[in-house]
Amino acid sequence: MHFMHISEDTILLLYEIVDVIISGLTNGSVYALMAVGLTLIYGVTKAFNFAYGSFFNLGGYCAWILIGIVGLAGGYFSIFLAVVPVLFVVGYLLEKVLVAPLRKYEDWENKVMMMTLGLALFMDNLYVVVFGGRVKSLPPILEGTLEIGQLVFTYLDITIFFLSIGGILLFGWLLNNTRIGMAVKAVAQNPEGARIVGIPKERIFAATFAISTVMVGFGGILLSQKYFISPMSGGAIMVKSWVITAFGGMGSIRGGLYAAFIIGMMEAFVGWGFGMSYGMIALFILLLTTLVVRPQGLMGKS
Amino acid sequence: MSFKRMATIMGGTFGLVAAAPLFVGDIRFIMHILIMCLIWAVVASCWDLIMGFAGIFSFGQVAFFAIGAYSSAIFSVNLGVPAVLAMLLAGLFTALIGVLVGLPCLKLAGPYVALVTFGVHMTLMPLLRGKIGMALGSGGSVGILTIPPIRIFGYSFSSANLVPTFYFALLLAMACTAVILVVIKSHWGTAFLALKDSEDFAMSLGVSAFKYKLMVFALTSFLTGVIGAFYGHYIGMISTRMLELDLFCTLMVMVVVGGIGMFPGTILGAFITVIANELLAPLGTYRAMVMGALVVILVLLLPNGVMGFWLKPAEAEAPAA
Repeated sequence: MHFMHISEDTILLLYEIVDVIISGLTNGSVYALMAVGLTLIYGVTKAFNFAYGSFFNLGGYCAWILIGIVGLAGGYFSIFLAVVPVLFVVGYLLEKVLVAPLRKYEDWENKVMMMTLGLALFMDNLYVVVFGGRVKSLPPILEGTLEIGQLVFTYLDITIFFLSIGGILLFGWLLNNTRIGMAVKAVAQNPEGARIVGIPKERIFAATFAISTVMVGFGGILLSQKYFISPMSGGAIMVKSWVITAFGGMGSIRGGLYAAFIIGMMEAFVGWGFGMSYGMIALFILLLTTLVVRPQGLMGKS
Repeated sequence: MSFKRMATIMGGTFGLVAAAPLFVGDIRFIMHILIMCLIWAVVASCWDLIMGFAGIFSFGQVAFFAIGAYSSAIFSVNLGVPAVLAMLLAGLFTALIGVLVGLPCLKLAGPYVALVTFGVHMTLMPLLRGKIGMALGSGGSVGILTIPPIRIFGYSFSSANLVPTFYFALLLAMACTAVILVVIKSHWGTAFLALKDSEDFAMSLGVSAFKYKLMVFALTSFLTGVIGAFYGHYIGMISTRMLELDLFCTLMVMVVVGGIGMFPGTILGAFITVIANELLAPLGTYRAMVMGALVVILVLLLPNGVMGFWLKPAEAEAPAA
């Protein structure tokens, strides 16, 4: 009898751990999407985008407007259909108007960092002014749970996981099989060479910025259903995406994928064991360790 | 820019400011703003030294400022260290943190350095608010509310007697910026220039990137820590509020307005920005948004900051062809 009692506790603990793992997998999949977008933009344009996290919330707020105010029919399918082009156009125009003019300066990387940090402050506070400081929530894309024996999965987690992975696979396919994808790869490998063979470098830069905006904004729509949209969370999202990218290896999409899941898991377990506020500290320790031990990241080329 | 011209601009600015109490000495609000201008002039100049001259994308300046303020407050409140000594200790402690942050940064490319230093900034808030910070005496989310003022021979420099405190701040700011000026014009400054132009070539001539970059991390974090400590003792209370992004961006506006790598432009930038920020106060919740927009617009339209108006065409940063 005594033995039974202990094993019951152990089983409860195991279920809790499975819950944490599921949370880590779901978050990890969205982080992967965001990290791939960031690897893309840094690899191709060499621009360090501090406003990246604010685009995450842009996706969330666009979806919130369409559901809460416009009342768009057709559920999330039509929301994706409506928001993705908006994100693309916003990203494209921002690159053309704000980033491109800075490229002519010698220290343009520095100027881009400062400019995008200002942009992040502007966007975050714009959200506060327009939507208020309170968090907003999005309805889940699918209600209900899937029960396998004693294990309970929400359909939301499963959908988020598969949509994120699907997004990354679609992106990978576009990169390898379309003209624009190959042009992006060419510019990443050698901007001058690409220009010589007639690839419009400036347009590729803007398109890359736009694609990464779409990826992080899409991630925002997905993850905001699980948590909330909070106007000031952009900075934390940006740092998280960057740490994942650095950990996985800059420019390596596969490295970014592994890193996203490792960090998603780490965050879930640290949050479960020590409390959510320690996530950022654990992340930072991981970043420092990576940079000291293996500066090129998991799969980056040294 | 020549040493003489830099020193003239600095001397002129500080001379003008030093005369201010003759006219507005009894208006508390203006004196307070002037003291804040002096404090931020030092922080912005330190940032310019490390970013504009040494070419290190350090985004940890506000974090160092907060570390200085917090450590000095903890030394004097919890350990009973006299405020002046606490400021010095806080400076040394911040310099130590600066070196620890700098060490992993030295081998990294620009954006990684920005990420690590910004990571310090992002980590500091949960650290100070959480259990670790509480154990150290950070006061959690409330902050530290009873920091004693600086006392020298029984005379206290606090917000109760603003004019002497103002001159104390002025002397401190002049000392700190003078150090920065000397560093820029010494062989350090030349070494930075050489490292920025071609790190490999400079190193082949025996200029140690490691040594100079670590030294600049130590120096700027020391000065920032001391001035942060002064801020804490002057205001009397500090909280993690200072780590929010809008202060960071305000500091960035100062550097952009002053011109990156255009020291002593940052001193002018600090004065212009702090005063403009006060004028923007009626905007309330819109202020942070306007600040952000200003950063974007100024980076695009004012590549050399206000110093651009003084520069000879040959000195201005020409857009690379």
